[in-house]
Amino acid sequence: MTRIGVPVVVLVLGALCAGAMALGLSIGSSGWRGDALPALFAGDQIITFLRAPRVLTSALCGASLALAGVAMQTVLRNDLADPYVLGIAGGASAGAVLSLALWPSLPPGPAAAGGGAAATILVRGIARGPYNPTRLLLGGIAVGSILASLTGLVLVLAPSERLLRSATFWLFGGFGTPVLGSLTVPAVLLATSFAWMTFHAERLDRLSLGDDVAASLGTDVRKTRAGLLTIAIVLTAAVVAVGGLIGFVGLIAPHAGRGIVGATHRRLLPVATLLGALLVVAADAVARTAFSPREVPVGLVTAAVGGPFFLWLLQRRRAWA
Amino acid sequence: MGVAANAVTLPDGQDGDPGRDPGRVPIPPRDGTRRAEPGDSPGDATAAPILEAHELAVGRGGRPVLAGVNLRVGSGERLALVGANGSGKTTLLRALAGLDAALAGVIQWDGGELPRGSERVRQVGVLFQGETPPGFTVRELVCLGLGLDGPPSGSAAGLLGDVLGRMDLDPLVERSCAFLSGGEWQRAVLARSLVARPGLLLLDEPTNHLDPARRAALFALLDRLRGSVAAVLATHDLECAATCDRVVLLGDSRVVAVGSPSEVLTPPTLASVLGIRVRRVDDPEGGSPFLRVVGPS
Repeated sequence: MTRIGVPVVVLVLGALCAGAMALGLSIGSSGWRGDALPALFAGDQIITFLRAPRVLTSALCGASLALAGVAMQTVLRNDLADPYVLGIAGGASAGAVLSLALWPSLPPGPAAAGGGAAATILVRGIARGPYNPTRLLLGGIAVGSILASLTGLVLVLAPSERLLRSATFWLFGGFGTPVLGSLTVPAVLLATSFAWMTFHAERLDRLSLGDDVAASLGTDVRKTRAGLLTIAIVLTAAVVAVGGLIGFVGLIAPHAGRGIVGATHRRLLPVATLLGALLVVAADAVARTAFSPREVPVGLVTAAVGGPFFLWLLQRRRAWA
Repeated sequence: MGVAANAVTLPDGQDGDPGRDPGRVPIPPRDGTRRAEPGDSPGDATAAPILEAHELAVGRGGRPVLAGVNLRVGSGERLALVGANGSGKTTLLRALAGLDAALAGVIQWDGGELPRGSERVRQVGVLFQGETPPGFTVRELVCLGLGLDGPPSGSAAGLLGDVLGRMDLDPLVERSCAFLSGGEWQRAVLARSLVARPGLLLLDEPTNHLDPARRAALFALLDRLRGSVAAVLATHDLECAATCDRVVLLGDSRVVAVGSPSEVLTPPTLASVLGIRVRRVDDPEGGSPFLRVVGPS
C-alpha cells in the first residue's frame, strides 16, 4: 500500500480549513456576507468581533480534541478511547451544571474544566498500582456514571427554565460568543502539546506497541505516558471550559488521519489535528445557520455527522487496520 | 560421547536439520546430569560474558519465583532456559531483559548496567511472545527498533536497509504489519530486535504457536545468527533447547542443572524435573536416534 505524502495531505487539509474558516466568517444568523475577508481586516463589528473569535474557537477546540484523542488512544492502547473517556465528561458535566445552578451569572467553563480534570485524577488514583489500561477505562466508566447521576440530580432538584436551557446547550457543546483574549491559554496549550508530541513522536509509536516492547526499545514508559495523559487532560479541560462537551471529534479525527497517512505519530499528528479543526469549524458553521435564527449546539452536529462517518470508516477499517 | 555424538541437532556432534521432526527430540547421552553449583558458568568456555547474573532472585509481585541463579552467557553463545509452566523462565528472562527489577542479586550486561534510551537497543534485543501486529508498515516497525527520536540518519538508515535485506523483508517493507502472515510477522519483529545490532538477543517462547514449517524457518534464522549474536531462549520446546550451546534447567524455584543439551536433556532428568517419560526412537532413515515424549512420568 503506497501512502500519500504528508506534505500533500497537510496542504490540502490546510486549504480546506482555510476555506471552512472563510465560510464560517461569511455565514451566520445575521445572513451571508460576501465581503467577509475585507470586513475582517476593516474591524467590522459582526465579522471581527463575533464571527472571527467564534471561528477561531472552533478551530482551536477541534484541533485540541483531535490531539487529545490521539494522546488518549495511544496511552490506553484502545482505538475506541476518546478524550472524555476517563471520567472527564462526567466531571465536566457535574462541574458545569453545579456552577450554572449555584452561580448562574458566572460562565460554567472553569468549573467544568476543574470538574473534568478532578474526575480524571480521581480515576487515575483509583486505578493506581501497575499500569493497566482496562482498569483505567473501567474506573472512568464508573466515575463517569456516578457523576452523570449527580448531574441529573441537580437538573431534577433545581429545575428552572434557564438552567435547563443553558445546561442542555453546554452538555452538547456550544461556543456562545467568545472573546479573542480568552483563546490565548487554549492556543498556547495546543501549540505546546503539539510540539511535545511531535518531538516525541517515535516514543509514542513505541508506547503504542505496549509497555514491555516500548521499554525494551529504550523508551521511558512512565515519563512518556505521564506526559501524554497530562496533555489529554489539559487539552480536554481547556476545550470543555471554552465549548462544553463536543463529542466524536476526538474519536474520529485520529481514525480518519490513520486511514489517510498511516499510524506513525510523526505522520498522524499534523493530519489528525487539521482534520479535527476542519470538522469543528464546518460543524459550527452548520450549527449557526441550519436552524437560523435559532442556534443548535455544535456537539449535536459533530455527532450527527460523525456517527455515520465513523460507521463508514469502520466498514473500511481493514484497509488500514 | 555415546548416543549424543550422533544426535542430529546436538551442537557437539551435529549434522543437523533441526526442523525435520518437530515431534521428537534428539537423544542425549545416558550419563545423566550433574547438579548445578553456585557459580556454574555456561559461558566459561567462550569469551568475556555478555550477560552475567550472580545470586539472582526474581519474582512476580514481590513473590520470589526463582532464587540463587548464577548465569554467564558468552559472546555469541546460545542458551536455553527450560522448565515446566510456572518454573520462572519468563520471569527470569524479563529480569535479564531489564524489564523487571531483580529481588536480589546482580545482573551485568557487558560488564555493567543496562544503558537507557537508544543505547539500550545496541546491547539487548528482546523478542516477546504474543505481540499484536500494529498498523505500522514493516519498515516503520523495524525502524522503531533503532530506539531513535526522529527519522533515522544516514548510518541508521544503512542498518535498517541491512537488516531488512538479511531477514528477506525487502518485498514487504511498505506492507502494513496487520497484513503479514505469521511467519512474516515473526521475521519483522526479529528484525526489529536485531536492527541496532545488539550483542544479546532474549527470546520468550519463540516457537510457541508456530507450525512445523515456521518453526524450522525460525531455527534456520537463528542458525544464521549463531556466533554473532548471543541468545537466551525461554522455552519448553525441547528440540529448540537441543539446538542451543547450553541448557539451564529450572525447577523447584532454582536452577536444577546447567550444561550442554546432551548433559542436561537426559531421560532421568526430564522425568524428575519436567514430569515426562521419554523413549529412545531410532531414525528409520539411518540418522541419529531421538527422544520421544511418550507420556507423563
